[in-house]
Amino acid sequence: MQRIILFISAVFILSLACSHSSQVEIALIPKGTDIMYWKGVHAGGAKAAHELGVKLLWQGPQKESDREQQINIVQNFISRGVDAIVLAPLDEFALMRPVSAAVKRNIPVVIVDSGLQGHDFASYIATDNYAAGELAAQKLTDLLGGAGDVFLVRFNEGSNSTGLREEGFLAWIRDNAPAIRLVSTDQYSGATMELALQTGQNLLNKFPNVKGIFCPNEATTFGLMRALQTAGKAKSVKLVGFDYTDAVANGIRTGEIAGVVVQDPFRMGYEGVKTAYAALQGEIVPLLVKTDVIFVTAENMNDPDIRAVTEPEIARWLDEK
Amino acid sequence: MIKRLQDKLNVLGPFLGLIFVFAIFIALAPASFVSGYNLKTIITQTVIVGIGALGMTFIIISGGIDLSVGSLIALVTVLIAKTLTLTGADSATLVWGAALVAILVSTFIGFLSGLITALWGIVPFIVTLGMMQIARGVAKWLANEQTVVAPVTGLNTMMNVDPEPAWLIFAPGVWLMIGLTAIVIFVLKYTVFGRYVFVLGSNEQAARLCGIEVRLHRILVYTLGGAFAGIAGVMQFANLTIGDPTAAVGLELDIIAAVVIGGGSLSGGEGSALGSILGALMMAILRNGCNLVGIPTYVQNILIGSIIIGAVAIDRLKHK
Repeated sequence: MQRIILFISAVFILSLACSHSSQVEIALIPKGTDIMYWKGVHAGGAKAAHELGVKLLWQGPQKESDREQQINIVQNFISRGVDAIVLAPLDEFALMRPVSAAVKRNIPVVIVDSGLQGHDFASYIATDNYAAGELAAQKLTDLLGGAGDVFLVRFNEGSNSTGLREEGFLAWIRDNAPAIRLVSTDQYSGATMELALQTGQNLLNKFPNVKGIFCPNEATTFGLMRALQTAGKAKSVKLVGFDYTDAVANGIRTGEIAGVVVQDPFRMGYEGVKTAYAALQGEIVPLLVKTDVIFVTAENMNDPDIRAVTEPEIARWLDEK
Repeated sequence: MIKRLQDKLNVLGPFLGLIFVFAIFIALAPASFVSGYNLKTIITQTVIVGIGALGMTFIIISGGIDLSVGSLIALVTVLIAKTLTLTGADSATLVWGAALVAILVSTFIGFLSGLITALWGIVPFIVTLGMMQIARGVAKWLANEQTVVAPVTGLNTMMNVDPEPAWLIFAPGVWLMIGLTAIVIFVLKYTVFGRYVFVLGSNEQAARLCGIEVRLHRILVYTLGGAFAGIAGVMQFANLTIGDPTAAVGLELDIIAAVVIGGGSLSGGEGSALGSILGALMMAILRNGCNLVGIPTYVQNILIGSIIIGAVAIDRLKHK
């Protein structure tokens, strides 16, 4: 009897050891799984994993505001014993402890997309959101010929990346466009498109003479496009937004969205996994990598180099039809 | 006589609250708050919560609760967008057919919630909490975890603040809400089914002893709730014009709040369709007014919370 138990446990330990030694496992943890943006990150990570011959584990919280669940996911991956973690933290403070716990167990962590406080992670790869906001301000000012009433619809409270875009946008306008009047800068839409739509309708009623609008992400951009449509002001009011989806692309094509700032999620996922692997091999990796943004309009949306960013090969790397 | 006075107070309470909130914003907000266009905006923004609240009124009067409404709304938007994309949305029949199919699916899920509640005797809070997750999951699965773009159809104009033709004054969705409210008022007041729903919520034991088919009526109530959630989902689709599996997260709580502000009691036996619509309207006014005055979002949360508690507290006082 004892022999049998010994045998079973030996097999068990052996199989555990095998599953670990056979292939390097890298966990990629997004903020959420619902939007196109994260699919781009996933596909980029999958491409890097394929090139490196490592196994990519992909898991994110069900809601893009659920810090608790993301913390649990990081902890679960630590207990599973993954070799490296690539994380897009939902909160710059709340995720510090689990990341430290991973680093203490010699699991290198690469942060992508949004910032994290502390210094123990290996590398930080993200869009310069502040500069992206400045770019949006510059483009909107050009579209308006340098003058006119403008408002900004903020996204949800506590979102680091959209907050930086909003600040970058406001700072650029204040410093460089004296004839642009910022009529409302303090209204938050909340987390869903419907709320952004309603906030947009309400603000348009209050400021009927507005000429330009800035939105810091996908939900607000699409919500405000709908608000302009329902108010009969689409096209006449210049809407500059953020992020690229099929729905947003349609808006750009019809001219209802003047243009959007687009990040490169595919590259973020790709570089994230590559960097995590390099750190795992003991290589010295750069502490900070800033990925570029582009401004997509009706004129340039079909250019090959723009399409390489807006339409990454998601289906190819994620086996989707 | 006193009963009749109480009935009047039940509708009067939320109505007075509404006027109070409205008056405050007239004082605080810029003149554009009372412009015809802004009033139309507010009432259009009431439609989704309002229609959802009509279904919830049946459920809450019967002593139940439905937490799955927000998820059902999201599922319906995805179903419509998917159907329209797959069929190409060539004819008006197809478009309305897609909406109808989505409403039927939502109705069926409501029926399932009712069936499980009635047959297995599980409390509706748990059953619909589970259904909330299931419907949300199915919506995300069908949508491939992203928003679903749909072809442009006549459905999209249902929620236009300025409707076409212009003589409609309000968006078709608003008229639909008004029509449905009238129907629900009638059903609750003058039909046997409506009276049974009240009896069910006031005293289930008595209802059973009177020979009312308690299980059947419970199932019917949740089926109706599913149907109204489905219609609210169609309006949500009209508003967004895309299928959004993350739409309406937490909206069921707004809907429950509307019913409660309108005089509904979570212990059952009380509530009115008109009150629920007024409750929904009050929340839309608050949100719109806060945007126009420029009050931060956190103040809106505090205000709406206070109104929910205040409305129920006043209700308690009336009953003493």
